[in-house]
Amino acid sequence: MKKLSAIFSAVCVVAGLTAAPAIAQNKPIRIGVPTAVQLQVGRDTQEALKMAIDDINAKGGVLGRKLEMVVADETENPETGISAIKKLTADEKVDVLIGGYTSGVTLAQLPHISAAKTIYLNVGSASPATNAKVKTEYDNYKYIFRVGPLNAAHQARQLTVFISDFVKAELGISKVAIVGENAKWVQDLVPLLKKGATEAGADVRATEFFDAQTSDFSPLFSKVKDSGAQFMVVILSHASSDIFAKQWYDSRFPMPYGGIDVKSMDGDFCERIGGKSVGEMAANFAVRAPLTTKTIPFFDEFKKRTGRSPVYTAFGANDAVYIYADAVKRAGSTEANGVIKELEKTSYTGIPGIIEFDDTHDVKPGTATYKGPALLLAQWREGCKREVIHPKVMRTADFVYPAWIKK
Amino acid sequence: MLEILIVGAVSSAIYAMLAVGFTLIFGVARILNLAHGSFYALGAYGAYFFTTHLKLPLLPAALLAVALVALFGILVERVLIRPMRKSQLAMLMITLAVALVIEQVLFLTFGSEYRNVPAFIDTKFTIGGVDVGGARLLALGVGTVLIAALWLFIQRTRLGSAILAISQDPVAAQYMGIPSDRIFAVVMGISAALAAAAGVLAGPFLTVQPTMWLLPIVKAFAIVVVGGLGSIPGSILAALMLGYAETIVAYMISSSWTEIVSVLATLLMLMFRPAGIFGRRAPF
Repeated sequence: MKKLSAIFSAVCVVAGLTAAPAIAQNKPIRIGVPTAVQLQVGRDTQEALKMAIDDINAKGGVLGRKLEMVVADETENPETGISAIKKLTADEKVDVLIGGYTSGVTLAQLPHISAAKTIYLNVGSASPATNAKVKTEYDNYKYIFRVGPLNAAHQARQLTVFISDFVKAELGISKVAIVGENAKWVQDLVPLLKKGATEAGADVRATEFFDAQTSDFSPLFSKVKDSGAQFMVVILSHASSDIFAKQWYDSRFPMPYGGIDVKSMDGDFCERIGGKSVGEMAANFAVRAPLTTKTIPFFDEFKKRTGRSPVYTAFGANDAVYIYADAVKRAGSTEANGVIKELEKTSYTGIPGIIEFDDTHDVKPGTATYKGPALLLAQWREGCKREVIHPKVMRTADFVYPAWIKK
Repeated sequence: MLEILIVGAVSSAIYAMLAVGFTLIFGVARILNLAHGSFYALGAYGAYFFTTHLKLPLLPAALLAVALVALFGILVERVLIRPMRKSQLAMLMITLAVALVIEQVLFLTFGSEYRNVPAFIDTKFTIGGVDVGGARLLALGVGTVLIAALWLFIQRTRLGSAILAISQDPVAAQYMGIPSDRIFAVVMGISAALAAAAGVLAGPFLTVQPTMWLLPIVKAFAIVVVGGLGSIPGSILAALMLGYAETIVAYMISSSWTEIVSVLATLLMLMFRPAGIFGRRAPF
């Protein structure tokens, strides 16, 4: 009887030992999503994540485990952003964080992400500062990665290349005006842009700032026109891009414009303003064009699911899920240190280009020879379609002047 | 120079349409209506909704939007303001609450993205070498006509005389048999309709989004403080002054400085002449 009891106990122990990993095996991998849920950037982050999660789960998940997501609203407020990280890491015990939008919020969250030792794949904020500490304090900040968008310094450099290689070399226009809203990042960026453009041989005739609340651009347009400029380079994020485009069109302003115009990245920007942005060239991180094999299928699937075109956070969010899943597969577990080592080796063909990380875990920008994510200057065309004009290697159509400008 | 004259006139016309309604309801009913900017927003969103979602032609859509906002204004006065009219503070709080509720309703219904109100005229006009959008010239023309019509209505009609009487001495007017409650409702309707018309006319070239009510209320407030709270001629003059001052600052200095003009004007007027240019007494 004693022998029988011992055998029974042994069987129970063995069963217990084998059952424990089986339960862990089936436990889903939890993706925490800190984002501004009320904004389109936040809504699109979630939609794009869901698309990737559904796809991966349909194919059996990762290491036999399903993926699931938990969302926390970080708003645009740093304190709420910190609470969102605490909720996701301490309460929800997520395996990875994918999200982000405002740089100020992300910067405030960094120490808390680091303390929670949870991998964070940023898909929204562009400040170079978010990744600076990865290099200087690797052990504390190795968890931070940026899948997109390109950081602001890369954006400034690529905009300078746009002025020299496209506006000057291709359009043959050397007289330009730079106009930007009165925001800190714009004030920092404009001198760099002006210096770069001047070094490239452009003649910067006017540099104008305006208040983000400006509702009448007639005086600004008048100054730009009087300066003798023939192309207007813009830097707008929070300003009224819609009013700018409407008034440019309404007055049939006699020069084309293009540059960084965050609201004009929205797929329905042109439709929302009654087609008045036709002719504008706005920087994007991806548009519905064959940038990679994934770009057009992603745009079409997103449109099918939501009825709208995705904004830039969607590209990073969708790619981030696949990049993380691949890294977990290669690492063989979700243990952070192992996954980080694999993430660092990432070379993934994503929606805007090939995603690889530099030594600060920041996404590498594309160059003439490397098809990484680039600042794509896409022109709004008749019917509110977009065509990539710059860089040349990604061009899908030639530039067309607005109908009222004779060239 | 001609450019400043035209651009300044357009700004002034929009400001005047906003400020005249705002000052009218204060002058007559002593209602400091913080929801006035919301009527402007509702006018623009109404025109957007009727043209885009119900596919109505622009003119009926615009008229319907203005009429519905006028009715809504009357409803707000009747249901929310009238029971609280004795307390200025309660009225301030209620009208602010109305403004915030409308903002949230617009946000939940249409989202945070801006929307497009189609323009009546989409062509460019060149006046003395200055390129001006047709929608702006229309706003200038219609705004001028509407304000002139309101002036004539107040000066020449029986109802207008009743409005004037109540604004001058509400107690005496009531003794003379003028139904003050009905007059307040009419004035609220006119005030809301003017703001809605400004929204419909400015929508094609200005922004249309849920927070669009805030800037107009700041401008309207600045104008009526400068012109004298309750004075229609004062508001028209102050609207012209502010419209041109902002335009001149934008042309001569920088567009970055335009927004400070209205705030500075309000501050200086409150310090040195609290009653405003044409005001009979200090409003606060």
